[in-house]
Parts: sequence; C-alpha cells; structure tokens
Amino acid sequence: MGSLRKDTKGQWIALSGLVISLILIGLAVLANQAILAGYHSSNAALEFPKENIRELNLHTHDNARMIRSMSFYINSTTNETVPDAFDQLFDNYSIQMKKLYAVHGEVVDVSMVSINSTTGKYTMDDIDMVLVNITYDDGITHYVAEPELIEVNK
Amino acid sequence: MNDKAQLHTLEGLGAAVLMTLTILTITQSTMIVTPQNELAIDVHLEQISSDALTVLDRNPVDSDQYNLTECIASWDMTEASYPDNMTGNLDELDAGLQYLLPDTLYNVDLAYIENGDLKVDNAIIRGPAGKNSVVTRHFVTLTNETVSEMGGSWNLGETELRVVEVRLTAWEV
Repeated sequence: MGSLRKDTKGQWIALSGLVISLILIGLAVLANQAILAGYHSSNAALEFPKENIRELNLHTHDNARMIRSMSFYINSTTNETVPDAFDQLFDNYSIQMKKLYAVHGEVVDVSMVSINSTTGKYTMDDIDMVLVNITYDDGITHYVAEPELIEVNK
Repeated sequence: MNDKAQLHTLEGLGAAVLMTLTILTITQSTMIVTPQNELAIDVHLEQISSDALTVLDRNPVDSDQYNLTECIASWDMTEASYPDNMTGNLDELDAGLQYLLPDTLYNVDLAYIENGDLKVDNAIIRGPAGKNSVVTRHFVTLTNETVSEMGGSWNLGETELRVVEVRLTAWEV
C-alpha cells in the first residue's frame, strides 16, 4: 500500500481525466440550452395567436369596404338610409364573427363606432372612413384596437 | 540554465489560446444553432399554410385564377367524401393549395353560421389527418352577388352577408 501511495507517475492521466470530464459537462450544458431555447421559442410562436388577430383585423377591413357598397345598393333599392343599412350589415357581420371565434374559445368583439363623411352627406364619394372597435381575447392574449380607422374609399 | 522544454511551453501556450478562442466564439456568438424539433416543424407548417390561404385570397377579382372567396362562392354545397369524391367541385382551390403546399396533405372544412347555428362541412378531404397536423383559418365573406356570379349553391338573400371560415388542416408526409 505504502509503495502505491508514493507512486506519483499517473498524476497527469488523472488530471486529464478530470479536465475531459469538465469539458464534457460544459458541452452537455450548452447542447441542453440550445434544445431548451428551440423548444421555448417554437412553443411561444405556436401559442401566440398572431395569425388569428391579423385575420380578424384584415377581414374587418375588407368587410367594411364590402358593407359600404352593399349599403349603397340597399339604399338604392329600399328607402333605408345608408348609415342604417351600414349599421345593420355590420351588426350581422359582428354576430357571425363572434360565433365563429367562440368555437375556438376566443372572445372577439367587432362593433361600429361611426361612419365619417367629409361633407356630412352619405353618398358614394363622401363616406371615406369608418371607425370600428376591435377586441380579441383568448384567455392569455388580449388585443384591443379602439378605434380602428378603416379607409373605405380605397 | 535548463532550456530543454521550451517547445513544450510554446505548445501549451498555443493550446491555451486555441481553447480560449473556441470558448469565446461559442459563448459570444449571437446565433445559437437550434436543432430541429417537432414544434419547430409545426411552426413552419403553420406559417406556410396560413400564408397559402392568404396568398390564395389576394388574387384580384378579375384575374385569370379565381381567388379564395370566389372558389368558396362556387361551392355546390356537396360534402366531400374519401376516397371517391375528395375535392367536390373545388378543383381550382385544390390545385392552388397543392401548388402552394408541396409535400403536404390537407383537409379543408368550411364553418359558417346558418339561421343562428354553426355548420361545419368537409369541402376537401385528402386523407385522415396525421399526428403532427396543424390547423389554420382564413375568413371569407360571401354575398348573393359573388355566389350567383360563381354559380354556387349558397342560398343567400339579396342583402345577406355570410362569413365563412375556411379551416385548413395540414400535415406533412
């Protein structure tokens, strides 16, 4: 036993073993961090309802334009005023959107605030902007655009 | 003076510089190489399928290829069945999706509100959805004008709007 204790020939081997094991531990930590970072960033990208909010916004813009031309059509065939027809059509749109989003556990509200007319008249050329309130909530993400300005004569 | 190990000392110094440089490069680099995991593939698939629907709906109304709204307006309301009638009369939509989503299978469902009730119809069925499938949505609004122009079977009144949710379930094969 005594002779083994005095034998110091393998010290370099023992030391390099220690160094290699430390390097391995360091590499393992780095690799693990990269995997975790990948997981968390992908998970965040999947969880955040970016497309749903963008879709709600874009579709409301498109619809405001469509509803504008439809309300002029209604105005020309019945004696309903353009703002009244606009209101009704927008309500109808809002109810359908609420139900379609509710199916996915998301609460949305799209409501009309006002129709802007530069001259105070409601002819095809005068209505230029519609103000709409848009809210979206899926329990984690809450999005509010109050009001959203929609240029409808473009 | 003993100068036998000078080369060894230089070698040791060189090795130390190399190791320090390597560690610095790894820890200071802003780009972390992320290995592909299942979620990253899902994110990618979700993005391209969402983009596909958006791109399909951006065709101008008078262009040669029908846009998404026009395709949906032309639907004859007959549900697709697998494997005999996979696309119904939505061949054009199917061709567009096939072009935009290569190596991907997909189903298209249409959800809409009729008389206050939710209805979900299968419009295109390309197979049973796989394990890692993602669902993306796009909304289109149909009016009597677009439907009658495209010859579809949506029974809409003159002043009626119908919001249709185009639900695309996509998975890679």
